[in-house]
Amino acid sequence: MQASSKQLYQYPLHLIFHPFDGYWELKYERNQRNSLLIAFMILVLLVITKILHAQYSGFLINLSNPKYLNSLLEMVYVIVPVLFWCVANWSLTTLMDGEGKFSEIFMSTCFALVPLFLIHFPWIWLSLVISAQETAFYYFSNALAVAWTVYLLFVGNMTVHQYTSAKTILTMLLTLVAMAFMAFLCLLFFSLVQQIVSFVVTIYQELVLRG
Amino acid sequence: MRRSTWKKRKSIIMGMICLLLFVQEASYVSADGKTDAYHYSFWGDAVPAPAAYEATTIITGKKLNTIPMKEPSDMHVTANQHVFVLDSGNGRIIEMDRNLKLVRTIDSFKQEGKEDHFKNPQGLYVSDQGHLLVADSDNHRVVHLDEKGTLVKIVAEPKSDLLKADFQFKPMRVVVDKGERIYVMAEGVFDGFMEFSADGTFSSFIGANRVQVDPVEYLWKRFATREQRSQMVMFTPTEFTNLDMDEEGFIYATSGDRGKDPVKKLNAQGTDILRREGYQTPQGDMVYTQEAGPSRLIDVDVGDSDMYSVLDSSKGRIFTYNGDGYLLHIFGGIGNRLGQFNTPVALERAGDRMLVLDKALGEITVFQTTEYGRTLHEAVRSYYNGDEEQSSVLFAKVAEMNANLEYAYAGIGKALLRQKEYGESAKYFKRSMEPKGYSKAFLLYRKELMREHFSWMMSGLFLAVAAFVTVIIVRRQKRRTTNAGIK
Repeated sequence: MQASSKQLYQYPLHLIFHPFDGYWELKYERNQRNSLLIAFMILVLLVITKILHAQYSGFLINLSNPKYLNSLLEMVYVIVPVLFWCVANWSLTTLMDGEGKFSEIFMSTCFALVPLFLIHFPWIWLSLVISAQETAFYYFSNALAVAWTVYLLFVGNMTVHQYTSAKTILTMLLTLVAMAFMAFLCLLFFSLVQQIVSFVVTIYQELVLRG
Repeated sequence: MRRSTWKKRKSIIMGMICLLLFVQEASYVSADGKTDAYHYSFWGDAVPAPAAYEATTIITGKKLNTIPMKEPSDMHVTANQHVFVLDSGNGRIIEMDRNLKLVRTIDSFKQEGKEDHFKNPQGLYVSDQGHLLVADSDNHRVVHLDEKGTLVKIVAEPKSDLLKADFQFKPMRVVVDKGERIYVMAEGVFDGFMEFSADGTFSSFIGANRVQVDPVEYLWKRFATREQRSQMVMFTPTEFTNLDMDEEGFIYATSGDRGKDPVKKLNAQGTDILRREGYQTPQGDMVYTQEAGPSRLIDVDVGDSDMYSVLDSSKGRIFTYNGDGYLLHIFGGIGNRLGQFNTPVALERAGDRMLVLDKALGEITVFQTTEYGRTLHEAVRSYYNGDEEQSSVLFAKVAEMNANLEYAYAGIGKALLRQKEYGESAKYFKRSMEPKGYSKAFLLYRKELMREHFSWMMSGLFLAVAAFVTVIIVRRQKRRTTNAGIK
């Protein structure tokens, strides 16, 4: 029992420093249920980081209006892109001979987000004690975190689907396009539903007022 | 989906702000000329503010014991606070003294022995020597009279290669600088202001607005045929609506459309040197409905210490900014109470008073600063003059009267910084949303703290490292012994 709780944090840390090994283990050797749990925890931690960042990070780098801070929306900003990415990636790779299952794609994506959380979290407090010149460090580490995450996503995709590197890059770009499509379809769907609802409401009002 | 919800949220917020404003308008307005005032916060939200000006009287032709003003279009106040009003409909100039009593009217001048009159003049400027310049629009000329009203010169239709052959000179507004150069804003001229030398010959254009192209429209135009294109609106630069000159000879100009920058400060070369360091760029209203559209700025008045006010004709509001571009206060409005206008066309500052000319009603509304307005102006003034001590005291007073004026807190922060109260100073700069000042104060504060607590921080760090090393050594030893045990 003690070993598994230790694993909870040791394994993701191992993965981000040794991504090829780590993702291989994730796909072929590790307990899926356990990894899924870790993946969800990473997502939750990222959400918490995002919310704390919007509320508590230093004035010099915090550009959000505290009056309009909405934790639920912040949550959506993290979860929706991840889900979109996973769904788009899964839909594409089933057509492109990928070997990954949806759960594997989801887990590999979540594991790739670890650097984002790891680097952003301390900056919530560090940003309180920096001056304007030192914000350069903040932006640099931010960029570093993103680059690292992209690299992990790349390796994860490659390992999970057993692709060559060129094909992985192509898939990732296509995934972005697919995400845009999905966003467009969702917008269309919601606006249509809105119109239908307003149509029905109008008819109802018409009936009520006539009757 | 995210965007749509956000958009919806935004529109709801906008709606609520409008509603709030409306509610205030309905409840706070009283008949004594104090209208509701508001301000824009750092975040661009409309927030309540105390009134900086209150309307005291209305000046009409009848009050001056002369015939009523008919469609007056421009106004000028001299350094000794004499007020000149251009009564376009009657083709005359009315001069009032500082107590707003009639001094004289000028409705004609002698030209080569003959009596000459103005025909629908639109612009008026009075130079430091008291010389009058009148943009005599329908006569297509600018008339220059001296302080007694005798003719000095007439600037007539200019001849130049820069102008088209069928060009018709119709001056609308005019200013003159210390070197006697005349700047004219003429109708249908998109190349900027026309500059005339002291003897009245046309020299060049200065300060043209840039053409603003809508990308979508541009795309359509690319696809259109020649015939279709000729039917479309041309991409023309926006016209200026007014101009004024400050003490140093810089021209302040407003343009009607909300282009990129509706307010400009032009130097002698015609480049825009207006400072836009404020929370928002000077542009009038930040929040407006889609139907009403943005502010249409039609007049600008430069006061002392680089403070300037612009007049918005669509909502009848007056926005005052300081030299750095921070919004100071907003007042006025369209309506039929004292302190509101029907069709405001010109504004001028006369000392503590602000005068607004109403074209349709032919009257001038006189505003007097309230204590809040006076303190705020005085604070800006002393900061401009470099008296930071005095300005911080005044800004503290202003902040007490209006907690929503974030700009005032920076003034306090600056004074505290100078008094070496770095922690407090950083706090005020933060409240003022001033990252530069905050950073400066905070850096000094941090250094101070570090210096103060260096000894125990360093010893703490040393102890921590020592503890860490010990733990590692102990662990290694333990492992070695257990391993040895297994062996």
